[in-house]
Amino acid sequence: MTSYDTAVIGGGLLGCATAWHLARAGNRVLLVEKDQVNRHASGQNAGSLHFQLEFRMVEHGDDAARAAARALPLHLDAMRAWATVEDELGERCGVSRTGGLMLAETPAEIAVLDRKAALEREYGLDVAVLSGPELRRFAPYLADTVLAAGHVPGEGKANPRLVTPALARAAGRYGAVLRTGCRVTGLHRRGRHWELRTGTGPGDTAGETHLADTVVLAGGVWTAELAAMADVRLPVFPVGLTMSATARSRPFLPHLIQHVGRRLSMKQTEDGNVLIGGGWPAKLVSRAGQVDLETNPELRYESLVGNADAARVVPAVFDLPVIRTWTGMTTLTPDHLPLLGAVPRRPGLFVATGGSAFTLGLTYARLLARMVVTGETDRSIEDYSPSRFGALNFV
Amino acid sequence: MSAPDVVVVGAGPAGLAAAATLGRHGAAVTVVDEQEQPGGQIYRQPPAGFTPPAGSSPAGRALLAEATAAPGVRWLADTTVWGVLGTRAGLDGYAGDQPPPGRYRVATHGPVGVRLLEPRAVLLTAGAYDLPVPFPGWTLPGVLTAGGVQTFVKAQGLLPGGRFVLAGGHPLLLVVAAQLVRAGARVVEVALIQRRRDLLPGPAGLAAAAGAGGKIAEGVDALRVLRRAGVPVRFGTVVRRAAGDPDLTTVTLAEVGPTGLPVSGTDRDVPCDVLALGYGFVPSVELARQAGCAVTWDSPAGGWVVRHDEWLRTSVPQIAVAGELTGVAGAEQAEVEGRLAALGVLRDLGLLDEHRAVTLARPVRRELRRRRRFVTQVLDRFAPDRAALGSLVTDDTVLCRCEEVRAGDVRRALRANPHLGTANAVKLVTRAGMGLCQGRSCQPGLCQLISTLTGRGPEQVGAFTAQAPVKPVPLRALAVGDEPPAAD
Ligand SMILES: Cc1cc2nc3c(=O)[nH]c(=O)nc-3n(C[C@H](O)[C@H](O)[C@H](O)COP(=O)(O)OP(=O)(O)OC[C@H]3O[C@@H](n4cnc5c(N)ncnc54)[C@H](O)[C@@H]3O)c2cc1C
Ligand SMILES: Cc1cc2nc3c(=O)[nH]c(=O)nc-3n(C[C@H](O)[C@H](O)[C@H](O)COP(=O)(O)OP(=O)(O)OC[C@H]3O[C@@H](n4cnc5c(N)ncnc54)[C@H](O)[C@@H]3O)c2cc1C
Repeated sequence: MTSYDTAVIGGGLLGCATAWHLARAGNRVLLVEKDQVNRHASGQNAGSLHFQLEFRMVEHGDDAARAAARALPLHLDAMRAWATVEDELGERCGVSRTGGLMLAETPAEIAVLDRKAALEREYGLDVAVLSGPELRRFAPYLADTVLAAGHVPGEGKANPRLVTPALARAAGRYGAVLRTGCRVTGLHRRGRHWELRTGTGPGDTAGETHLADTVVLAGGVWTAELAAMADVRLPVFPVGLTMSATARSRPFLPHLIQHVGRRLSMKQTEDGNVLIGGGWPAKLVSRAGQVDLETNPELRYESLVGNADAARVVPAVFDLPVIRTWTGMTTLTPDHLPLLGAVPRRPGLFVATGGSAFTLGLTYARLLARMVVTGETDRSIEDYSPSRFGALNFV
Repeated sequence: MSAPDVVVVGAGPAGLAAAATLGRHGAAVTVVDEQEQPGGQIYRQPPAGFTPPAGSSPAGRALLAEATAAPGVRWLADTTVWGVLGTRAGLDGYAGDQPPPGRYRVATHGPVGVRLLEPRAVLLTAGAYDLPVPFPGWTLPGVLTAGGVQTFVKAQGLLPGGRFVLAGGHPLLLVVAAQLVRAGARVVEVALIQRRRDLLPGPAGLAAAAGAGGKIAEGVDALRVLRRAGVPVRFGTVVRRAAGDPDLTTVTLAEVGPTGLPVSGTDRDVPCDVLALGYGFVPSVELARQAGCAVTWDSPAGGWVVRHDEWLRTSVPQIAVAGELTGVAGAEQAEVEGRLAALGVLRDLGLLDEHRAVTLARPVRRELRRRRRFVTQVLDRFAPDRAALGSLVTDDTVLCRCEEVRAGDVRRALRANPHLGTANAVKLVTRAGMGLCQGRSCQPGLCQLISTLTGRGPEQVGAFTAQAPVKPVPLRALAVGDEPPAAD
């Protein structure tokens, strides 16, 4: 039986980035992934790097927005992390930070935009509300119906196809051991160690046991299931999301586009496809009455149509064919804040998930790794601590 | 929104036979086909105003007449089915308007835009397409599929070139070569990869496979036409390379050794301006897979085929399949399967009682058994040797033409990411399969290459996840959706 300093469970962006940071700091790391690296949310997402508050955070009024804004310090941290990650990895991952716009089409939406910008500035985010000729000059591709837009210069995109595999390779270069097709089925505290059991499901490798001093749960929508293995209940919920991609076309959309009044995220990839998403739901599939996390959610016609309709704000997109759609799952927490930090009363057990963990994943990973190695972080993460749900565990 | 009893996807032999049977027994049927005319691949009709080409089949005419005469059948031509939605269990209360329980949403796009059909049952008869086999030069203008060349000749009465070479491993090549000769084309050579001794009991069996049983005469006839025209038919011969700039001017043919691989030193350059390839067919299972129907790997039957029970029902309730989706077996078998699947649907919908359905199905099953015996025998003989064909690929060979991904890119990606080994994972890192054709043209070659490089079998490598829309749909049409009142 091999013994590791840290076992990271989950080969998505978060797990691979955490393994990279830890291995780089000299930790002996085991990274366990039940399927293939980047198979789930990290390879299915829209690749938006959005540092403004999202529509889902402002749609329920100012109080909800103010609560969600407590994650903004992480957004600012993430902005810096994405600025340097390609240099640190020594390869391109499609990171582009040419700015993002959050659009408003009605006076009421402009008012939301203004209040949102004021809130974001309190946290130090560099946001300007553009309108009139200034906006047209900056984004000539927008429809006439767009009246104003919140502009954040450092926003943009990264390529979800490339980021996570690059992180996995980097972790490997620093000696992390990567096991794919290997599902964790048991998680027990044994003396000073955690004992991980891995299963023998179809396609899995043979059952094994591994020891690790610390364990990081980076299991995305499976986080609750993994935590339950350690007899901890965490309130994280899977939601199904929908994406559409158009055929490739010449570059015409250099910015990340979001909408303050409806679900929309839109960008053109470096390959020329326009990706359209923004939180349109997909139907979670159930098996025997339970949500089946192993099956991709089902496409909803209404989401596809709604998503296409939302793209009206950039008329040129309307001339392109949609060549495919896909769905994926991501985790939400009840308060829209990340779940990040040490699990109370489980020494050496850490977790991170929730929120836009593509944008924020590098930051979660860096903070987790630092906690694992030094026992502390360089910024307060109390607001995101799993201990806020301690009552669920009689803590 | 319209709510027929049954939606049949595809108006080929399987779909036509099914529609006729369904209509005759009182079902309200909508047949959707993306072509302008019913008939499918084999009975493809020339557009109005063209004279039907010589050799348009009496069987096809009879079937078309039967289907058009059947009551209760509505035809949606020029209309693509891009998804079958609502087939998965799960809660979706916030979706608003839901189809009544037991109904799926068949999403279409046609001249009137995007429309939803909400049938009680769906029958998928989407047919097959030519197996793409990558090798150096296969993407040059002038390199076509045998089926494509046939379509030119059949549907448009056109000859797409002057000097033809036909190469591959499927008996359809002989039929197409004879059609070309009859249409006045100059056919330089027909090259079949199978060695003659592997094809025993002889050319009759070979010819019979083109569309399955009943084709023997057509095959023998084809051989006679070719012999009379002095067209060499060479066995044990493979096309290794196509060259020309910008258009095809030469192909390199080589002899095949006992291992199925080209023998070095036997290369021959043959000048031509059209190379028609025919290595067999791939069942169009993308819609079935998108709908969630389970598939199995069956190489001689064309690759991934839809799993079904004795009434041709798939793993998804109320979705049945017929024709090439159950395994490539030709037009006659497709027609018989169409009738059987229709009886199964009628039985499930309560339009036929159990006893009557079983009784009506009995002779159909008997015929199906007879055909299957024959077809299986033929199929095995012509099954593509995927590993040998895979060896034609060089690092420079384009695998995915939409995204211009070469075999070397895949090799490098797998070397850099040794933990990856599925079609989906390789698609994600290389973009192979992400283009307009949705991977139809690169999936077989790519999966074979992954298999060769990783030692994983086809089941482990898997296929690209099938997503709606299975064929591209204009964003503008999607944004409007099914809102305006349907045309009917
Ligand atoms: C359609 C869609 C669009 C999105 N768009 C954006 C966006 O634009 N911007 C943004 O910031 N965020 C976006 N998100 C959210 C973002 O993708 C996720 O928050 C992020 O990828 C989560 O990364 P992760 O590594 O935590 O999870 P995942 O990528 O899901 O990785 C978790 C991994 O853990 C593995 N695992 C689980 N259980 C076990 C076990 N028992 N044993 C072994 N392995 C296990 C899983 O197989 C999985 O690979 C989107 C999400 C979706 C679905
Ligand atoms: C190019 C080609 C040429 C062939 N030539 C011969 C020949 O000469 N002789 C011979 O014996 N056999 C030939 N075959 C084989 C023969 O066509 C098949 O055995 C037979 O047609 C199978 O019948 P089917 O009903 O299963 O499918 P098909 O006849 O292929 O019919 C399927 C129909 O479904 C439609 N369709 C598919 N997907 C969708 C969708 N998503 N939405 C709407 N419509 C859809 C297609 O347009 C097509 O009309 C050929 C096959 C191909 C592909």
